[in-house]
Amino acid sequence: MPEVRAIDYTGSERLTMNMGPQHPSAHGVFRAILTLEGEKIVAVDAVIGYLHRCHEKLAETLAYVQYPSIASKTDYVAAMSSELAYVMAAEQIAQFEVPRRAQYLRVMVNELQRIASHCLWLGTWCLDMGGALGGGTSIFLYCIRERELVLDLFESLVGARLLYGFHQVGGVRYDIPAGWTDQCRTTLNLIEQRLLEYEQMLHDNAFFEARTRNVGVISSALAQDVGVCGPLLRASGVDFDLRRDQPYSSYEDFQFKVPVATEGDCHARYRVRMVEFRESIKIVRQVLDSLPEGPIPSRPGVKSLGQVRVPKGEAYARVEGPRGEVGCYLVADGTNKPYRMKWRGASFSNLAVLPYILPGVTVADVVAIMGSVDPVFGEVDR
Amino acid sequence: MSNPVSRGFFNESIALAGAVVRAMRITALNLFRKPVTVHYPEKPRAYPDRYRGLLALTYDPKTGEENCIGCRLCEFICPPAVIKVEMLKSKPRNFAKTFTLELYACEFCELCVQVCPTDAIIMMKSFDLATTDRREMLLDKDRLHAIGLQHKASWATGNLLRDMQEPPKPPAKPAAEGAKPAEAPTPAAIPNLSEKPVDAAKPAEDPGPADKPPEKAEATADPALERAAGTATEDPAEVPKPAETPSPADKPSGGEA
Amino acid sequence: MSELPPMVQSLIVGALVLGAVVGVVAYVTLLERKFAARMQSRVGPYRVGPHGLFQPIADGIKLLMKEDLIPAAADRTVFNLAPIVFLVPCLLIFASMPFAPGLGVADLNIGVLFFLAVSSMEIVGLFMAGWGSNNKYALISVMRAVNQIISYDLPLLFAALVPVMLAGSLKMSDIAAAQAGGYWFIFYPVIGQLGFLAFMIAGVAAENRTPFDILEAESELVAGFRVEYSGMKFGLIQLGEYAHVIGTSFLGALLFLGAWAGPGPAWLGPLWFFAKAMLMFLLFTWVRWSFLRIKVDQILAVSWKLLLPLTLALLLLTAVVIVMREGEQSVVKVSLHSTNAASRLDCVAGQARFAASSTSPALRASCARRLNIPDIEAPRRLASRAHRSSRCYGGPSPRAARV
Repeated sequence: MPEVRAIDYTGSERLTMNMGPQHPSAHGVFRAILTLEGEKIVAVDAVIGYLHRCHEKLAETLAYVQYPSIASKTDYVAAMSSELAYVMAAEQIAQFEVPRRAQYLRVMVNELQRIASHCLWLGTWCLDMGGALGGGTSIFLYCIRERELVLDLFESLVGARLLYGFHQVGGVRYDIPAGWTDQCRTTLNLIEQRLLEYEQMLHDNAFFEARTRNVGVISSALAQDVGVCGPLLRASGVDFDLRRDQPYSSYEDFQFKVPVATEGDCHARYRVRMVEFRESIKIVRQVLDSLPEGPIPSRPGVKSLGQVRVPKGEAYARVEGPRGEVGCYLVADGTNKPYRMKWRGASFSNLAVLPYILPGVTVADVVAIMGSVDPVFGEVDR
Repeated sequence: MSNPVSRGFFNESIALAGAVVRAMRITALNLFRKPVTVHYPEKPRAYPDRYRGLLALTYDPKTGEENCIGCRLCEFICPPAVIKVEMLKSKPRNFAKTFTLELYACEFCELCVQVCPTDAIIMMKSFDLATTDRREMLLDKDRLHAIGLQHKASWATGNLLRDMQEPPKPPAKPAAEGAKPAEAPTPAAIPNLSEKPVDAAKPAEDPGPADKPPEKAEATADPALERAAGTATEDPAEVPKPAETPSPADKPSGGEA
Repeated sequence: MSELPPMVQSLIVGALVLGAVVGVVAYVTLLERKFAARMQSRVGPYRVGPHGLFQPIADGIKLLMKEDLIPAAADRTVFNLAPIVFLVPCLLIFASMPFAPGLGVADLNIGVLFFLAVSSMEIVGLFMAGWGSNNKYALISVMRAVNQIISYDLPLLFAALVPVMLAGSLKMSDIAAAQAGGYWFIFYPVIGQLGFLAFMIAGVAAENRTPFDILEAESELVAGFRVEYSGMKFGLIQLGEYAHVIGTSFLGALLFLGAWAGPGPAWLGPLWFFAKAMLMFLLFTWVRWSFLRIKVDQILAVSWKLLLPLTLALLLLTAVVIVMREGEQSVVKVSLHSTNAASRLDCVAGQARFAASSTSPALRASCARRLNIPDIEAPRRLASRAHRSSRCYGGPSPRAARV
């Protein structure tokens, strides 16, 4: 592991400043205890755990049928990915074959979720950098406006906007309703247009460049040492995407590019995510074009708790969520509940890079870096 | 400005001016778009058909009787355990003696709706949950019935949901082994694309699986019962309306290798 | 009213202006909120009164009724005094502002200078607020604020000097009069637009609005220097900030947009002025809601490395242009090679103006002698010619009036 950087202390007065847990740019409940020298950060102490809800222990008390709708609440911004990781782990142990239509639907909702999640990321990041009383709010509200459209899609598909419970072991719970495909296509077209607008406000904008270029550089080696994942990893020059490198749920059927940038700074992360936006839209379109007919779960409609039983065994399922690799490690003991469950949260491992990159930057950069890491504290603290 | 990509002062200024104009153009463009705000209380929200909102209990439109048979399946499946049911045994069919739902802890996952054999519990197209008194959200049977009459019902009912999750054609012998070949093109299970799968189809093809284990077997076999074991002295058995208990349910769950 | 002693008159006018300013500021917040909301696909305040028209009143009542908290560790005197010290300069800037010919508290000879000097006094109150709060966010905020406001007062001053030079006077009513007839300084080729641009940028920075709102920077410093303020003290700070913004808008409208000049009868003048100021304000608002904030070091770099040299160069250019337009007619030859052409020209114009305005014939004569003008009435003509020729479309060259 690389050494945590500490800046030589030359000044005479240091200031310890709390950023969080209640702070406008804390993205939830993250507490960073910053030691400042003027505006410069010389040390950072990160405190997490304010949102701990015993998810892993809770999973041991809930049946395989019950937990997916709770799994939503780990990463509540990208609920679909967490659900998918959980049910995939259970299916791996039980070796349930998931029908093709269900697999495609899973791909579709996960990519829609990525769009929604990246919308939120872009909005909140700009809110951090632009202020609630400035241009950042404009971009934030534009992004939220578009995210709402995706949530509308989820709402007419599932009935809920944020925590879905869409997946279940062996398939999915809901099939797409009539007229949904057209609604989805319209939304995608609209979002694709609006993406251009966001880029016009940000891309090549001197204010934006000044805030993001060469800020929070994560080198390729550091990224791999600390274990960051997802867009952060790809922005640091590591070409790794689970959807392509270890396809699950029929991802191999779809054509998409994996964006990679080498700079490792905030701007590179921005560019990677903006490409991912478009690739997700492409994937959803492909799914809509090629959605096969057939049943959605491999098992009959859930009628009771004991219906889904998983034989003894253990499995680790990994999913490329919007924030990176969401992993679920499951130990089954043959009953209808897991014996043990462990989340690997993408935000958690991404957040671990902060102590390496924060010292030496200024207070204003902290919020830019935090926003570009895009942590969701439901997933960090679980 | 400290831009690493140095393009010379002149080009830099041009780029800056361009960026300023572009950004201000977008905000000006949005100035003339219609606001997306919905003035909520005046303009009611448009709910999608599958909206998962308030929970309610239903009556049978024909007989006017309560649909709930007190079988406690919803109680067992509820992940946050907010439903408590007691059964009232009676001759032609059973009833729920008490049915309480702690709405303040409900997570609207619709699992209770999905498991209900008699379509008794459903969800409403409403999210008017706000209240100044927490106790108002502890719903008892009467209130749940009242809510059912008050709001518009969502599409989902237990049977419709289970129809949507129609299994692949059950193989001749119970699919005990894990690697169940999912014969994808199941003739019977065609597209649930339409919102209203035919109700009648269900009972018709259910008798397919030979053995029809009574509800009792299923419920008591549940290890999850232990959570509710304290109150589960009553046997939630032998209740159901026969037509409404399609139980190929437990069949493939023998899939423990 | 004319029988009243001048002091009472001033008091009455002052009170009227003060009341008007406070009212306008309150409603300007609504304007900004509505405008920003529409830019963000929202509708803005909507509930209080028809289309939210009473929102500022509701806000005022809310602020009055809120609990007034003073942190235990705060320096109470400084903390309590700060909002007042902050607010007074922000309101005082309207004292030198004429809203129409003869309508204003005091049309000072050094009006523009007074305006800029007083408006930069707000930093005292701001620093007191930040220091007295005994809060780390507030402390960092005011450290930034002092840097920023000092850096941006110079470019703002230089940008404001462009119209001053074109008009040849620091007196606001003179500057407005020089633009009469549609010859607004913003239409003055090149110089006018560049000056306006520099004024806008420096104005946004001096008002601490995005993209230069580092001292408020709520994503980093929560609310900056006012983080500990609540209730009416917070309201006073808010009022001061908005008054400052409105004052700068009025100044911009006066310096570049021809103040009360506009079609229609003369009594429409103040309305025109107000409309132009609101236009300026909306421009500020539009900028505010379009950009991200930049960092403190970048803001200082923009000021010292970019804006300050550019405005200085602009001043020089203005001087050159004025000299080229007037040089041939001017009695006094101003060397084009002189680097302080501007100041020399200012000096000449000022002397001429002074000479023309003086009532004593002896003084006029002595000035005329000193300026090498034979005719005793010449200074008056010179001044008025300078006036005319400083317009964009100066009409027939005043060469005919050569002395």
